[in-house]
Amino acid sequence: MIFSFDLLINAIISGLLIGGFYAAVTCGISISFGILDIVNIAHPAFVILGSYIAYIINANFGFDPILTSIVVLPAFYALGAGIYQIYYVAFERRGQESLRGLAFFFGLLFITEVSLVLYFGVDYRYVQAPYIGPTLHVGFIDMPLRMLVPCLVSLLLIACLQLVLTRTFIGRAIMAVAQDQLALRLLAIDPTRIKRIAFGISIATASLAGAFLIIIQPVEPSVGRDYIGRIFAICVLGGMGSLPGAVIAAMLIGVVESLTSTFYGPSWAPAVSFGFLLLTLAVRPAGLLGR
Amino acid sequence: MRTLPFFLICLAVGAVVFGAAVGLGNDYIFFAGYVVLQYVVLSTAWNILGGYCGYVNFGTAAFFALGAYSTVAIYKFISEHDLYRMPMPFLLLIGGAVSAVVGFGMGYLTLRLRGAFFAIATLALAVVLQTLVVNWDYVGGSRGAYVIRPEAFPLIGSYIRYLFLIMLLLAVAALTIARLIERSRLGYGFATIRDDELAAEASGVPTLRLKLIATTISGALMGMAGAPYPYYIGYLQPSSTFGLDYAVNSIAMPLIGGTTSWVGPLIGAILLGSLQQVATVTISSAANLLIVGLLLVDFVIIAPNGIVGLLRDRRTTSAALAEPPLFTLIYIINLLPMYFLMYQGGTAEWIALFFWAFLFFAALARGWAIDRRWLFLFPFFGALAAQAAIAYSSFSLTVISVCIHAVGVLCGLITNRRLADAPN
Amino acid sequence: MPQTEHQPTSVATASLLEVDGVGKRFGGFVALENISLSVAPGERVGLIGPNGSGKSTLVNCICGTLRNEEGSVRFDGRPIDGLAAHQRTHLGLSRSFQLPRPFASLSLLDNVRIPRLYTVEARAHHSARQIEEHCHGLLREVGLEEKAHHLPRDLTQVEMRKLELARAMAAEPKLLIADEAMAGLTHSEIEDILTLLVRLNEQGVTIILIEHIMRAVMSFSRRLVVLVSGRKIADGPPEAVMRDPEVERAYLGQ
Repeated sequence: MIFSFDLLINAIISGLLIGGFYAAVTCGISISFGILDIVNIAHPAFVILGSYIAYIINANFGFDPILTSIVVLPAFYALGAGIYQIYYVAFERRGQESLRGLAFFFGLLFITEVSLVLYFGVDYRYVQAPYIGPTLHVGFIDMPLRMLVPCLVSLLLIACLQLVLTRTFIGRAIMAVAQDQLALRLLAIDPTRIKRIAFGISIATASLAGAFLIIIQPVEPSVGRDYIGRIFAICVLGGMGSLPGAVIAAMLIGVVESLTSTFYGPSWAPAVSFGFLLLTLAVRPAGLLGR
Repeated sequence: MRTLPFFLICLAVGAVVFGAAVGLGNDYIFFAGYVVLQYVVLSTAWNILGGYCGYVNFGTAAFFALGAYSTVAIYKFISEHDLYRMPMPFLLLIGGAVSAVVGFGMGYLTLRLRGAFFAIATLALAVVLQTLVVNWDYVGGSRGAYVIRPEAFPLIGSYIRYLFLIMLLLAVAALTIARLIERSRLGYGFATIRDDELAAEASGVPTLRLKLIATTISGALMGMAGAPYPYYIGYLQPSSTFGLDYAVNSIAMPLIGGTTSWVGPLIGAILLGSLQQVATVTISSAANLLIVGLLLVDFVIIAPNGIVGLLRDRRTTSAALAEPPLFTLIYIINLLPMYFLMYQGGTAEWIALFFWAFLFFAALARGWAIDRRWLFLFPFFGALAAQAAIAYSSFSLTVISVCIHAVGVLCGLITNRRLADAPN
Repeated sequence: MPQTEHQPTSVATASLLEVDGVGKRFGGFVALENISLSVAPGERVGLIGPNGSGKSTLVNCICGTLRNEEGSVRFDGRPIDGLAAHQRTHLGLSRSFQLPRPFASLSLLDNVRIPRLYTVEARAHHSARQIEEHCHGLLREVGLEEKAHHLPRDLTQVEMRKLELARAMAAEPKLLIADEAMAGLTHSEIEDILTLLVRLNEQGVTIILIEHIMRAVMSFSRRLVVLVSGRKIADGPPEAVMRDPEVERAYLGQ
């Protein structure tokens, strides 16, 4: 373990950049798990789906992956709305969400992942874009653009999402549905419709997150599994429904992972986020900025 | 029936099974049978915590692997110090003990939290343990570990027969334990935790203590199932041993079989386990997992109480399929694999029957709900057309069969009558 | 706040339940503020107050479902603040839930058997037959014996409330808190439940009755406690409490 100041700073910067990306993957879970209390363990699979869609369009037409994912947003939203409707009718209404609802999402995770394997195979796929490759050098700090761009767009995404949640009517209805469904009903708002919209938004973010992912690293279907623990760790650590909390937690985990990887070796990195999760759950389930 | 007669009957059945397997002469049946029996143990173990108490454990692989790696560690120790080989029953006990301790510890940390958090924590545990093992060179690290299987076992024959027998006895033990719990005060307590933990506490049930008991027993059984595994497989790799595949199977089997009694995991494991053995050989191991995922989603939506529930009470089942979004989903997730499997040919076609059965059932239920009792004819003729298409290699017949299905779905969905939002 | 005399039972009787300065907040919302209450063995106490006044929160704090941030609770002479809910039930504190929470997958008989198995039977040892008979008896007292082998989903709302009560009684408590057990019942059904509660009281069970049905509360209670917006504003004989101007204001003047 050679300690050098350069290495340390670069590891931290790298961690912050990847943390920004982690936040994008997690913001969907902050909505579906943090606010709606739905344990959508299949979220990473939808992210991977987003990656593959970006890949197909990029490989065949050369379109920018991030722009592609924005175009595809409505489709993901519709997918999310549809899945919520099924989840609601089959589980939430019958009060079986804790066991069977969970198993449902688990099944979806597998179905999505294995379908991708059957269709695309297990080869790593990657995209081409002008900002993949060059690195920004500021003094001794190296910031690969392929990490900087997704990080910045991700923070922009989360800022927009936070504005929607706090300033728009629908957004506030979403925050309210977590706390008092009866009050919403009395205002002649259908909680189910609000939740459906929220879940649709949650899955829509997966589209963008998928584009970010395939810009940062090559993707193959089982890559999603690493993210299951990460996103729930970040969501819990950041205080469940809090988006700013998720950003902070994401950067924290990103930095610790990066430092661990740099100074102890990459084989220890997976344990970081999951270890964080266990610690948070054991000690302070309300998270850093918890409700 | 009291427990002791049950145990003896199970032993007797086990003896018959073993005898039949020996009689078949082919050692392959022992290899395949071992995996099925292993899943009987894993599903029964999972169900004690998941089905009885309602706490989902995604970390089956972790407990399984703990048992396996305990064996590897002991094996290494024995080889290095040139000691006498440790008998399998002891390995089982040690593997079980290690898993039990870890299960207890993890439970103590996380069982105070809601079920959802517990489930996620089990996932985290699996990864943390996997990382620890991968970085522990004594048991081979990421390179893996080799365990040399002895040639034969006295009196029983090849070593694989011995392993099969061990797993058979373990399965009998697991089923007996599950049934014993089910009928005892403990089982009632578990059921209250599942139904309403708050009310259970108020009724005097020490919920935390019971949950810890469930986690410990469940973990112990999973560890015991893992202990013989290194000898079975010969070469142990962390990535596959800790894989999510164990999790999805140990969850799917009880949910498909039925979670409220010991029979469910048994049926689920035998059915799904055998199915997978066939599918892995005839199609591919990836398709095998897809089938498990699809069946899991199918059953969880259509038959929440599994096969056992279907046999006992068909009421909840039909009610579900009457809803348009579920009807659509069932159609989509069963139609595609059905065609895929039918075109694979051979044994895969028999598996396609399962998915066709779901389509048929869905059309039947939906047809009854919207007063179009003839709806089930669509999947019936659609499947016939598909079969004919394969038999005569005719593309036009394939198109016809798809059209029949499409029309069936439309007839099932387009209706003036809105179903009342009936609370269930 | 006006504190009228407790119903004199015996000068030397220690109180069964002692709530001392209990406070509970949810985030910024103060649900309970400085609640002090003393219940002697054998008393019949009515607890009333407008919706949202904190009655159920108080019950939850007493029974251990929620943890109060301030104050302490003593039961039968010992402090029970750190104890889990099931431990308090073992000590003899039992409650029925305002919104019935039956064990949905178990029969009515099993629903009633559970508390027995885990409280009474932990100390005594009756045969399975005796336990079953006792459970049948409990169901009979609330008029649910014919449905003993049914599941809770086959019950009407009213029957579920009766099941709640039967389940609370199954633990053979020293103190029973009945949380709105009579909502939606007919006149005669209310009479039945009242008779049942009176009989329980005569057998030595202390009862706290939380109700909105004033007729029932007035006829049953020997003492009335009024909770408004998380504060206790009255505590004394029913007629005196109802004439209290602050209570009148709370119920009529809002």
